Amino acid sequence: MSATIQVDQLSKTYKVPERKGGFGAAVRSFFKRKYKEVKAVQEVNFTIERGEIVGFLGPNGAGKTTTLKMLSGLLHPTNGKANVLGFTPWELKQEYLRSITLVMGQRNRLSWDIPAADSFLLNQAIYRLSDDEYKKTYKELDELLELEPLMKKPVRNLSLGERMKCEIAAGLLHRPKVLFLDEPTIGLDITGQVRIREFLREYNKRTGATILLTSHYMADVTALCERIIIIHHGQLKYDGGITNLSKKIAPFKLIGVMLAESNSHDLSKYGTPVQNEEDWEKRYIQVKAEDVTRITSRLLADLPIHDITIADPPIEDVIEQAFNS
Amino acid sequence: MFLIFKRLWQVNWAEQWQYRANLLMYLFYWLVSPIIYLAVWTSIANVKGSVNGFTANDFITYYMVLLICDQMTSNIVIHTFAYKIQDGTLSGELIKPIHPLLTNGLVNNIAFKVLTIMGLLPIWIILFFLFKPNFSGVAITGVLLSIPIMVVAFFIGYLLSAAITSLAFWTTRVYSIHEFYFALILLFSGQFVPLPLMPKLIQDIAQYLPFQLFLYFPIQLILGKLSTDQIILGYVMAGVWLVIAIVTFNWVWRQGVKQYSAVGA
Amino acid sequence: MRIFKLLSAFFKVNVQMSLAYRADTVVNILLNLMWLGWELLSLNIIFNNTDTLGGWGLGELIALLGVFRLVNTMMIAFIWPNTEKFNQSIRDGSMDYTILQPVSSMFLVTFSRITVWRFWDLILATVLIVVGVNMSAETTTAPQILTFILLAITGMIIIYSLWIILIALTFWFVKFDNNVTILQALMDSGRYPATVYPAWLRIIVTFIIPIAVATTIPLQALRGELSAIQIAVFFAVSVISFFVASRVWKAGLRQYSGASS
Repeated sequence: MSATIQVDQLSKTYKVPERKGGFGAAVRSFFKRKYKEVKAVQEVNFTIERGEIVGFLGPNGAGKTTTLKMLSGLLHPTNGKANVLGFTPWELKQEYLRSITLVMGQRNRLSWDIPAADSFLLNQAIYRLSDDEYKKTYKELDELLELEPLMKKPVRNLSLGERMKCEIAAGLLHRPKVLFLDEPTIGLDITGQVRIREFLREYNKRTGATILLTSHYMADVTALCERIIIIHHGQLKYDGGITNLSKKIAPFKLIGVMLAESNSHDLSKYGTPVQNEEDWEKRYIQVKAEDVTRITSRLLADLPIHDITIADPPIEDVIEQAFNS
Repeated sequence: MFLIFKRLWQVNWAEQWQYRANLLMYLFYWLVSPIIYLAVWTSIANVKGSVNGFTANDFITYYMVLLICDQMTSNIVIHTFAYKIQDGTLSGELIKPIHPLLTNGLVNNIAFKVLTIMGLLPIWIILFFLFKPNFSGVAITGVLLSIPIMVVAFFIGYLLSAAITSLAFWTTRVYSIHEFYFALILLFSGQFVPLPLMPKLIQDIAQYLPFQLFLYFPIQLILGKLSTDQIILGYVMAGVWLVIAIVTFNWVWRQGVKQYSAVGA
Repeated sequence: MRIFKLLSAFFKVNVQMSLAYRADTVVNILLNLMWLGWELLSLNIIFNNTDTLGGWGLGELIALLGVFRLVNTMMIAFIWPNTEKFNQSIRDGSMDYTILQPVSSMFLVTFSRITVWRFWDLILATVLIVVGVNMSAETTTAPQILTFILLAITGMIIIYSLWIILIALTFWFVKFDNNVTILQALMDSGRYPATVYPAWLRIIVTFIIPIAVATTIPLQALRGELSAIQIAVFFAVSVISFFVASRVWKAGLRQYSGASS
C-alpha cells in the first residue's frame, strides 16, 4: 500500500502586485500591474506513512501554512504533485474532504453566539454522520477533552483554551483519517498546550490517524513527534528523526538578566551576548544547555542581579544557526 | 475655542476623506428613494394635469430641491456615536475638557456633510439634465431666507438625534428607537410628498412638529411658494424648537452621564 | 432529501441564534409592522390623489406590495445576513473552512445565516397579494396564478444569481465590501410599477439590476398581460443567469486558491 501523504516537487509562487503610494501610481498600476514573485514553497518532497505524527517546523513565513493549505486542498500549487489518501487535494472531491480536517489555531469555525453543541449538530448534517456514529465519536472526544461542561455555553463565553478544545473537537467529529493542524496551540498557556498535546497523542494512538502539525513552539514538536520536517525560506531543510536533529542543532538556552548597573558589566565571558528586540530591559546571553546551571550560579554570585530568566531560544534563531551557517 | 474647532475640523475632515468611497455608496443609496417618489408623483401629475394644484414641474422642482435640503439638514450622529456609548470608548472622551457631542461629534457630522454635498453636486447636475426642471419661481430672497432656517434645522435635528443617541446610556435598542424616529420624519417632514397632499390630520400635526423645518418649509421657501405670514410662522417655530431641542438634549445627556458613571462602565 | 436535512440543520442553528436575541426579535417584528403601516398609508395617500398609477389601480399596487415584500423577505432573510457573513469570512480567513466542507460552497454561503423571524413576512405578503388581487376588478384564472408563481420564482433566481456574481467578485477585488450596496439601494424601486419610472431608470431596474423582473413582471403575468413567448424568455433568462452565476462562483474559488494564476 502506498503512503498516506506523498508530496513531489511541490512549489507555490505568489504574485504580489507591486504598487507605490499616491494617486498617480494607483492609476498606473490599474492599467499596467507590476508583480513581484514570492516563492513561498520551493520543490518540497516528502512522504508520510499512515499513523505518523510529523512536526512541521519553521519560522513565521517559512512556507508551513502554504504547504498545509495545499495539502488540505485550499491552495493550488504552481508546480508539483501531491497525493493524500489517493486523492489530489485541490480537486476538492467531497469524499476527500470527508476524510481530512484542517484546524487553524487562529481561526474560528464555531459560531460565537450559540453553544458549541448546536454547531456540532450542524457539522453532523454537513458531514452526513448517522446519529450513532456521531454519538460514538462525541463520547470519545468528550472522554479525552472533557467537553461536556463546555457544550451548553455560548462560545463567546468560553476561555481561549476551552474554545480551542471545542474547535479541535468540531474538526474531528467526522473521524478524519488525516489531520492538518496549523498552530493548534497558539496563544494558549502552558497547561493548555500540554492538554492539547496529550489529546493529540492519545487520539493518534486510538484511531491511527495521520497527523501533520505546524508550530513554532519547539516544545509542541518535541513532545509529540518522532519525525520532524523543517522548512525555511520555502525550502525543505531537514526531514528525519528528532534525535538526529538535536545533534544537528546544538541545544542552546537563553539566559536573560536584569542588572543594577545595566551596561557596566561585560557578559561575554559567560556566553555569547544576543539581542532580544522584544525585551530591552534585560540583557541576554546564549549558552549551551548543559552549562546552564553552572553559568547561572556564576552569574548570581558575580553580579548584582535583580531578575534572571532561562528560556529556549526562538525557533527562528535555532534554524538560522543550524542551516544558514 | 476657535482653535479647538479648527483642530477638530482637520482631524475629522481627514477621517471622513479616508472613507470617501463608502460615502459615495451612501450617497447613491440615499438618492434612490427621492427619485422614486419624484417619478411616482410626476407620472400622476402628467396623467391628470395637476394633483391638488401641483403640476409635474412642481413635483420635479420640489424633489430636486429636497435632495439639497436633506443633505443640509440631516445628520448621522446615531451611527457615529451610539456604539461609543455601548462599547465604553466614550470614557476616553468624557474626561476631555470638551463636550464630546457638541464639539467632536458635531464637527465630524459637518465634515461628513461637506463631503456628501461635494459628491452630490455633479449628480445633481446630471439629474438636472435628465428631469429638466423649470426653476422660474425661485427668487433670491427665498434662497437667502432659507439658509438660516436650514442651519437652525440642522442643529435642531442634530440635537434631537443626539438626545436619542444618548438613550444608549440606558438601552441597547437605541437603533430601533431611532428607526421609529426616522419614520416620524418620513411622515411629517414632507419627504414622501409635499405636505398639502398628505391627509388633513397629518398636515395639522406636522405644523407643530420640527420635522417640516427639515424639508418642507425650506423647500417651499426656496421655491417661493410661501406667504409672508407662513414665513414668519416658520421662523418662530424654528426658534421655539431650537430651544426645546437644546433643553431636551442637555437634560437627557446629563442624566445619561450620571447613569454612566453610576454603573461605572 | 439531503438538501432538506441540511437546510433544517441550518434553520435550527439560526433559530438558536435568534433565541439568543429574543427581545430584539420582538422589537424587529414591531418595526416591521410599523413599516407595513407606512407602506399602506403611502398607497392610501397616492390613491387619494389619483385613481391609477402607471395604469395600475389600488388593488394591483397592494398586490405589488405583497410581491415586493416576498422578494424583500428573500433579501433580508438570506441575502443581507449572508453577505455580511461572507465579507467577514473573507476578511478573517474562515472562508477556508467553508471551502473545506464536503458540501457545495455556494450552498453554504447562501444558507449559513437565516434571519428566521422574517419568515412571518411571507404570511403578510401572501395576505397582501390575495387581498390586492381580489380588490382589482379583473378575474384571475388558474393559469395566470401559476405563471405568476413561476415568474416570481424566476425573478428571485435572477436577483439571487446577480448577488452570487457580486459577492464572487470579492475573490478578485479583496477590498470590495460594498459589493451589494447597488442591489440594496435599488431594492425600494420594487414597491411601484416600473412603468411609472423614466426610461433610463426603467432600463436600470429591468436589465442591469433587475428588481422589476422579480416584482412588476410577475404581477403583469397575474393580470394576463404577458405573452407565452415573454414568459418563456424570462424562464430561460433565469436558468441562464443561474448557470452563469455558478460558473463565476467556481472561477472565484479558483482565483482564491490560486489555480487561475
